[in-house]
Amino acid sequence: MRLLSLRPQLNPIIVREVRTRMRGVRPYAILTVFLLLLSAVAYMFYQLMMQQARMGMTLMSAHVGQGLFNGLALCEIFLVVFLAPALTSGAISGEREQLTYDMLLATPLSPTRILWGKLIGALSYLLLLIVAAVPIFSVVLMFGGVEPRTMLKALALLLTTTLTFGMVGLTCSALLRRTSRATLVSYIAILLLLASTTLPAVVWGQFSNPIGQMPPPWLVYLNPFSAVFSLTNVSFNTEISSYYGYFDSFAGLPVATLLAPGVLYYGPNGQVLMPTYRATMICFLALTLLLGWLSTHLVLPRRRWWPRLFDLGFALLFAAGLGLAYLARNWWYLAPPVV
Amino acid sequence: MTAAIETINLTRRYDRMVALDQLNLTVGTGNIYGFIGPNGAGKTTTLRLLAGLLEPSSGEVRLMGQPLRLGRGDTQRLVGYMPDFFGVYDDLRVWEYLDFFARCYGLDAARRRTTVNTLLDLVDLGHKRDAFVQTLSRGMQQRLCLAHALVHDPPVLLLDEPASGLDPRARVELRELLRTLRDMGKTVLLSSHILSELAEVCTEIGIIDSGKMVVSGPVDAVQRQLQGTARLRIRLLRERERERAVALLQAQLEAPDEAAVQISSVRLDHSDPMHLLVELAQPDEEQQTRLLAFLMGQQLPISEFKVQSENLEELFLRLTTQLPAVS
Repeated sequence: MRLLSLRPQLNPIIVREVRTRMRGVRPYAILTVFLLLLSAVAYMFYQLMMQQARMGMTLMSAHVGQGLFNGLALCEIFLVVFLAPALTSGAISGEREQLTYDMLLATPLSPTRILWGKLIGALSYLLLLIVAAVPIFSVVLMFGGVEPRTMLKALALLLTTTLTFGMVGLTCSALLRRTSRATLVSYIAILLLLASTTLPAVVWGQFSNPIGQMPPPWLVYLNPFSAVFSLTNVSFNTEISSYYGYFDSFAGLPVATLLAPGVLYYGPNGQVLMPTYRATMICFLALTLLLGWLSTHLVLPRRRWWPRLFDLGFALLFAAGLGLAYLARNWWYLAPPVV
Repeated sequence: MTAAIETINLTRRYDRMVALDQLNLTVGTGNIYGFIGPNGAGKTTTLRLLAGLLEPSSGEVRLMGQPLRLGRGDTQRLVGYMPDFFGVYDDLRVWEYLDFFARCYGLDAARRRTTVNTLLDLVDLGHKRDAFVQTLSRGMQQRLCLAHALVHDPPVLLLDEPASGLDPRARVELRELLRTLRDMGKTVLLSSHILSELAEVCTEIGIIDSGKMVVSGPVDAVQRQLQGTARLRIRLLRERERERAVALLQAQLEAPDEAAVQISSVRLDHSDPMHLLVELAQPDEEQQTRLLAFLMGQQLPISEFKVQSENLEELFLRLTTQLPAVS
């Protein structure tokens, strides 16, 4: 008797999660609210921009496009960072609380498939929100100023961040028995990650010798907000800014000044923007893989830490990935410009 | 015939506490084995070990003659496991619930459809196909959970407390279902602390206490083996004959002659004016025939004469309460 067909099958957990998550009015209500909120943010940024123009600043259509894009991207990354762990932190602990975990483990599903299914199943709704927001982003194209390449990069960064922060929640869920505790711990971990990157970068100048040095870019590699800042400002044109003066495409939002350290450098030839998002994406991918590997051990009911063949394969692949990253270091490793 | 389930010196410790101590259990193919014990006796631990959800501290498990290799899908396909506290996924329909587990076992689309339909008919939930799982009654959820354990058509079923929390009607239905499963050739190991239902449906029982098997074997053999005294229930045709019988037996009790039986007590059954209960000194069939011959010789109109077996509850209480004194 051969039960297992050779055809690859859709992960059963993804099927179930999608079935249960998309049921009822709630998912559609949340989607509507989310899109309205995003539209409101776009409108707010547009108004802020118009206000700057009324105050006498020379405003080009490209500036409006960039400003809108930055605002929307920042808003979405904020959403992803704080929603992804909420969606995944109940994935494994919820099964334990619901008393369905034993039944799941008694099936021949491998831990890797359980985790993969849980991660994608839980994040599928978030991915849907991201895709649904694309038409709002397309408003940016009306104003111009943002290359399609940049938009694709922003999408890639958004997806990587979703996976990573979803994985943080999933690991906490596999580690802890209670969902409430898993959610709390994953938020603490995220806040620590954000604080430990942004705060040192902000105060770096106060403690550097001589005082007033700019922080090195590696300090903010793990901060997704800095990555958005570095990415969405790449079309920052020094020629335009030298001609029209510095234009703050974040429309004077106070939070933007917190994101600049480590990313924006003031040199003799004007500002230089470091593309830290490349390193951020590589670090996030590595972090996701490591947390995923850790979780495959945490979900096992027994012999958790016994080495398996899977571990050897993972170690080899991970080492190969690190080797590739080393070879491509010129692309992502950024030495701070000498001032 | 190979044993469907076999454990060899199976031991499981939780830190210093020994939950299961050198368990040797053999269940033949096609049997329904009832595993009885008080709470914390090691029933669930045993079932989880058999389902491959726990690692034995020492000892071995064999299913259908093959050693249970942990972390391998092929042994997990041999057993269907229903935990004692099971949950259901909210917002999932009954057929989707079974479809999910069928997918977990890698069944293709056509087989999934037929399996889900067959199982819904088997557990009599066909009319609830599109209902949400959380709206089902406890008995229905229990049956659905049992059906989930059958999606991959395993030869061995492990049911942890399948009858707990069920009303009498649902319990009868469950019993019917277990009989159907036995007819399908499945080997079932079920645990319970509600004993009365096990006697009727099980072919074999084992009593476990503090991680040790106290007694195991076919139901009647276990009962016979454990009968300390032979209690006989005698029914006479008329009430006044009962008094004569009591007087005769009392005389026999006080002054036993060599040829007759050795009686240890005679009691009236107060629930029925025609009955009396006689306890023999030894559980011996020869003694029983001699007693019957003696009563017949006295011209007593006996309409019923039978060994009253100690029911499982009494047996269980006696065994599990005596044990600490013995050890």
